[in-house]
Amino acid sequence: MTALLRLQFKPILGALLLLVLSFTAKAQNRQITGKVTDNTGKGIPGISVTVKGSGTGAQTGADGSFRINAGANANTLVFSGVGFETEEVSIQGKDNVEVSLKSSANTIGEVVVIGYGSARKKDLTGAVASVKAKDFNKGVITAPDQLIQGKVAGVQIINNSGAPGGESTIRIRGNSSVRAGNSPLFVIDGVLLDGRSARPGYTGPDLGNTPNANPLNFINPNDIASMEILKDASATAIYGSRGANGVVIVTTKRGQSGAPRIDFNTSFGTSKVSKKFDYLTGDEYRAALTSYGLTSGNFGSSVDALDAILRNGSVQNYNISAGGGNENARFRLSLGYLDQKGIIKKTGLKKYNVNLNSSFKFLESKKLGLDINMIATQTGEQIAPVSNNAGFRGSLVGMALQWNPTKPLYKPNGTLDIATGGSEVNPVGMSEAYNDRADITTVLATIAPSYKITNDLEYKMQLSVNYGTSTRKAEIRNWINLEGIQAAPGGKGGAAFLGTGELVTRQITHTLNYTKKVSSDLNIGALVGYEYIKTNNKGGSQDGRGFEDFAGVSYYDIMGFSAQGTRVITSYNDPTAELQSFFGRANVNFKNKYLFTATMRADGSSKFGSNNRYGYFPSFSAAWNITNENFFRVNGLDELKLRAGWGQTGNQEFPAGSAQTRFVATGPGGLGQESFANPDLQWQTDQQVNAGLDFSILKGRVFGSVDYFNKKTTNLLINEVAGIPSPGTRIWKNIAGEVVNSGVELTLNGTIVKKEDFSWTLGVFATFQKNEVNGLNGPLLTGGINGQGLSGAFVQRIENGQPINVFYVRNYQGIAADGQAILENDGASFIYAGNPNPKTLLGISTSVGYKKLNLDINMNGAFGHQLYNNTLNAVLPINNLGSRNIAKSLTTLPVKEALSSPITTSSRYLESGNYMRLANATLSYNFGNVGKAFRNVNVFVTGQNLFVITKFTGFDPEVNTDKNIDGVPSLGIEYTPYPMARTFTLGFNFSL
Amino acid sequence: MKKNFIRIVAISALVTAGGCTKLEEKLNGSIPEQASGSANVASLLQASYDNLRSPFQDQARLWAAQEHTSDEAVGPTRGGDWDDNGIWRVLHRHTWDADHTFLRDTYSDLGRIIFGTTDLLRFSPTASQGAQARYLRAFATLAMLDGWDQCPYREPGGSPLELPKVRKGIAALDYVISELNAIMNDLPNGPANKANKNGAKVMLMKCYLNKAVYANRAAPVFAAADMNQVISLADQLIQSGSYSLTTNYFDNFAPNNDAIGSELIYSLENIGGSASGNVRSRWFCTLHYNQNPSGWNGFTTLADFYSKFDAADARRGGNSYPGVTSVSGIRPGFLVGQQFDQNGVALKDRKGAPLAFTPTVALKETGNNLEVTGIRVIKYPPDYFSGDNSNNDYVVYRYTDVLMMKAEAILRGGTPTAVAPTTPLAIVNQVRARAGAAALASVNLDQLCDERGREFYWEGMRRTDLVRFGKFLSPRSLKPGTSDNKYLIFPVPNQQLAVNANLTQNPGY
Repeated sequence: MTALLRLQFKPILGALLLLVLSFTAKAQNRQITGKVTDNTGKGIPGISVTVKGSGTGAQTGADGSFRINAGANANTLVFSGVGFETEEVSIQGKDNVEVSLKSSANTIGEVVVIGYGSARKKDLTGAVASVKAKDFNKGVITAPDQLIQGKVAGVQIINNSGAPGGESTIRIRGNSSVRAGNSPLFVIDGVLLDGRSARPGYTGPDLGNTPNANPLNFINPNDIASMEILKDASATAIYGSRGANGVVIVTTKRGQSGAPRIDFNTSFGTSKVSKKFDYLTGDEYRAALTSYGLTSGNFGSSVDALDAILRNGSVQNYNISAGGGNENARFRLSLGYLDQKGIIKKTGLKKYNVNLNSSFKFLESKKLGLDINMIATQTGEQIAPVSNNAGFRGSLVGMALQWNPTKPLYKPNGTLDIATGGSEVNPVGMSEAYNDRADITTVLATIAPSYKITNDLEYKMQLSVNYGTSTRKAEIRNWINLEGIQAAPGGKGGAAFLGTGELVTRQITHTLNYTKKVSSDLNIGALVGYEYIKTNNKGGSQDGRGFEDFAGVSYYDIMGFSAQGTRVITSYNDPTAELQSFFGRANVNFKNKYLFTATMRADGSSKFGSNNRYGYFPSFSAAWNITNENFFRVNGLDELKLRAGWGQTGNQEFPAGSAQTRFVATGPGGLGQESFANPDLQWQTDQQVNAGLDFSILKGRVFGSVDYFNKKTTNLLINEVAGIPSPGTRIWKNIAGEVVNSGVELTLNGTIVKKEDFSWTLGVFATFQKNEVNGLNGPLLTGGINGQGLSGAFVQRIENGQPINVFYVRNYQGIAADGQAILENDGASFIYAGNPNPKTLLGISTSVGYKKLNLDINMNGAFGHQLYNNTLNAVLPINNLGSRNIAKSLTTLPVKEALSSPITTSSRYLESGNYMRLANATLSYNFGNVGKAFRNVNVFVTGQNLFVITKFTGFDPEVNTDKNIDGVPSLGIEYTPYPMARTFTLGFNFSL
Repeated sequence: MKKNFIRIVAISALVTAGGCTKLEEKLNGSIPEQASGSANVASLLQASYDNLRSPFQDQARLWAAQEHTSDEAVGPTRGGDWDDNGIWRVLHRHTWDADHTFLRDTYSDLGRIIFGTTDLLRFSPTASQGAQARYLRAFATLAMLDGWDQCPYREPGGSPLELPKVRKGIAALDYVISELNAIMNDLPNGPANKANKNGAKVMLMKCYLNKAVYANRAAPVFAAADMNQVISLADQLIQSGSYSLTTNYFDNFAPNNDAIGSELIYSLENIGGSASGNVRSRWFCTLHYNQNPSGWNGFTTLADFYSKFDAADARRGGNSYPGVTSVSGIRPGFLVGQQFDQNGVALKDRKGAPLAFTPTVALKETGNNLEVTGIRVIKYPPDYFSGDNSNNDYVVYRYTDVLMMKAEAILRGGTPTAVAPTTPLAIVNQVRARAGAAALASVNLDQLCDERGREFYWEGMRRTDLVRFGKFLSPRSLKPGTSDNKYLIFPVPNQQLAVNANLTQNPGY
């Protein structure tokens, strides 16, 4: 295996070496050797060694030794590495240096990436959290957001469902938008992402629309070095009109100077549904029929239809990277392959990924730099008909749940039992009749030259293109009993869909960065920049119906066969969105005690109305390092820093073209008004105050921070019905009203035990938050509920004096003696019955090391909120008994519910959403170096989603089915989602 | 230093040269307004006619608001079926609120008509086109006034961002009256299924008859002058000689009612097989699954209402109708008891029990017979030949209503005239005679209210009538108590309150 791999990669390696060597032409002549050790005297590999002031660098080998070509007049070497305090050592008159590095659990000394630059963590004045690769969540990770779930206070990440590559809900400091997006801005290596995926949506006839894919799937989590989460306005205001929801900066791994090195890791896993909905078995169903005196509905068999569409999933993942270089040229190339087969049959995600980072320095002075980065990814999704909003027949999961458990899925002759018409659809038949694939290709390429004009002043330009293109092909075979699909005997039916999408973002950024040590007490820094981003989004689709079932031939491959009258052709090319920005930042550091930062961004967007083309987003913040004051010396207190900041940010997450009167094609010869002109349309404004405290005690054994924030969102963006009289068109505008998110975040890290052979660290990330809406002219409705007899039902409101998305439902008061559900005032009155926004978020990470064994455990939870169980409400009600399955909980009610008890949305289906999950646990064994070739050999086993403590009776309390009404987002509703999986993976990694 | 300075300048120049766009938005695949061809007045006018379909013909719009809230109709929940979150029940029990989606959508649909008819006025319509648009606008405004009391409006070409202004109560009524008078001469004389002069006159009659109601719904005081306006307009229509009572009551609602419905003064055009509103829902929403056409097994009338009819009254049903009974066995009117197909074979329900509709019905049906409870109502003889687009024009104003309004105006203090029929009793008996019902000896307002029920049941005007006769809030079958006064007006939908600060919520909501 290894021999084979080495063979395969030798040519690549050779080519890369050549590349490096060509940039190594001029070596300098003074050679320094030495060794870097930890406090126990063991050599530390991977420590970066640089010549101060020159950029020349090397890396320590497996035993901690290094060799570096320092210039003739070099004075000092700098040793740095993750987990160690940086050390500077004089090399005057020396050829050999022995250095012992102090390990630092304390991260205050480290450098973090911030908007358009980086800063020492101890110089930060805003609320910025940083998670490094070693602290990421482990296991099967398909998108980067999953790496930091439960790892950062103030950040909530919900996997909306268990679908491979499915979308997640990411909230930094709560929900602040009533209609515009609530997701943070992702910036990957300086490129601002659009936040959408090029994947075409598909709404199957009678099935509803399938959920979106995670737009971050194209980033290989294995290539990420760190993620920085900018939370408060003083950190995010540099991103102006896109900073309001917080910013996540993703930094990919770079090549290190030194000998080229290859890292390889692989893992294999298996997964199984972690929790199923509690419905009746065949025998229980028969008992229920008897108990209700029903004589029909027993087909004599016992089947579990959900099991019939589920399977054991699997995953395999390979990553190989080669990196290296010297002081003038560094590179890292990585290849990744992921093949995940989901726990629902015919679902999965395949991902091929190439990532190249390279960095060069030119000219004798080395003042000219050039970075070239590229990510190319292809993801292939196989999608099941699990939708957000299926009607009374349900989507695949709903069909399986409500399948009569006494009814065989197959006929005695072994063929599937497919009904003609009717309301029950055989879920196995549905799974077989439905084929849906989406392929997305994403290429993100960046070229960034830079020039050091003086020692203090650097100019950098970054040019990037993010190109996403996608095709989606779907079909529903004509023998399945969906309305409009099932062919009459001898007739035609079925449906096919072919869609394409293209999403292109171009970005150019110029920055001038100035840093100056004015005196020994005063450091100043300044940044000015210009940025231009242009986005185009277009695509099209073809729909057709009326196919004959030619075995083995996909309908979407014979689109021309479809009946003429059923064909629907659409295409779109959204208005171009352009964003032009000017920004700047100034820092002052006086005596390392008093720190000030001011930022300003002016954002001009073509999306804004002509009366409001430019928005201005300022911020100010200051910090005071109290421990650096002479009068404040406390034994054991290493650091105490107070921070405070204020700033304004914006949110411009509305479609391009919203400020203009536009008509779009609606059908043959028809135009429909898409939007009304609104020359006043502008960004939504967030104003945020943050006050925080960073501390470190007992020589870094315990450190952490506390932050208070208050974020007020005004000028709310809304896409409301134009007040009548109107043609029914919606209009984007800014309305009165405010959403206030406030709370306290607590981050605490500690080293509980620190011995030579045994260590134990613990991290706790807690958030206590509150949300309130005020000043709206009237309530907004959302949280649409689907199912038979539930037309037009909704359960959430955005209303003054209430948290956003508060549940607004009938008050359920139990079941009357006659078996009918009692609703207050016979269902005519509604109450505010619950809040889907958690009051508390909790993440716990702990790591225990014993000799070469290491155990990492990550847990996360959310508390103080409610979820609405639309699955229980609509899919498994008592009325089903006799024809379809019911929830098991209905058979244990204190009073027997009558079969005619109406399905009505009410507080009956609101449940506590509290949960605590053991998200992942990894046990690894580090063999160290094996033989001469293999270094850092590590074997690990990871369990994901090992258990959840919750009282929620749905599939999983971590759920957010998209139940928006007219685009007003919903929160905390479960409706027949793709179930969550429990996954075990076994893997190993090594370096060459 | 100088060298550095030059570099800085050079780079600054690059920065500025590299960018700075004017940010003029490229629309790509969208069509701007000037190219959209929206200034085609004839098609805009047709679009406004089409926009009348949803609010007036659909079973979940104004018709539900007018009928389910009254003594004529109820939408029972049958097990889980037709629960729809209680949306039908709250109408019958008078417990709706400002989020009721049918009321909300009716209000928006009416607003859409008002927008379209106003907007086309800026594209230089002909006198007739302008008059027709204003007729439709007046018609929608009157429906809005009747239900919600508040009528938002815009000036032609007004910015959609400006908050629409609002006319309330009598101000809105005065506006409708002045509009109708202003356009009267420019309106075409017919046909009945387009905006027309006589339709405008009936609309004016409705305005004057209900004027006191719009001034004070809880305690209207009818003025003789208004009643005389009603009588005078009725006389003009009687003397026009254009209309007569049909021999067969149901001809007014037949698939070919545009040809044989001699009472129709204003109706909404439905073109069989191609372009229709949801008039078919009138029979679909009441027929059982096992009837032809296979219905939705929904709405019924109430036993108390059914018992208001004489057995001989043809409007109650029981007679065969050409093109219907021979196809399906259905006899228009009220369907009660055992139902038969076209061959006289007794029909069964889905459980195999006899398909025999019972007079009693509950808001929530829970028994074993829940499929067959309630008397079904066929006002429109079904169109079996036009697919989903039925040919029956939707009846808005008919001649009988003109006569009955004249009778009511006299009973409310108007002065009788010499134009025959001259007395309320003569009018009521003329209407009853056509249906084969025995003549009454005398008539008062209560009897007239009942007669209006018998004549106009399920035509979407019962709520307005009951309000005018002071009976809307009274207890009745499946609505035990007296409703609060606030239910005389519908609430302004929260959706609209949120977007138009010129609207205020109606009292009590």
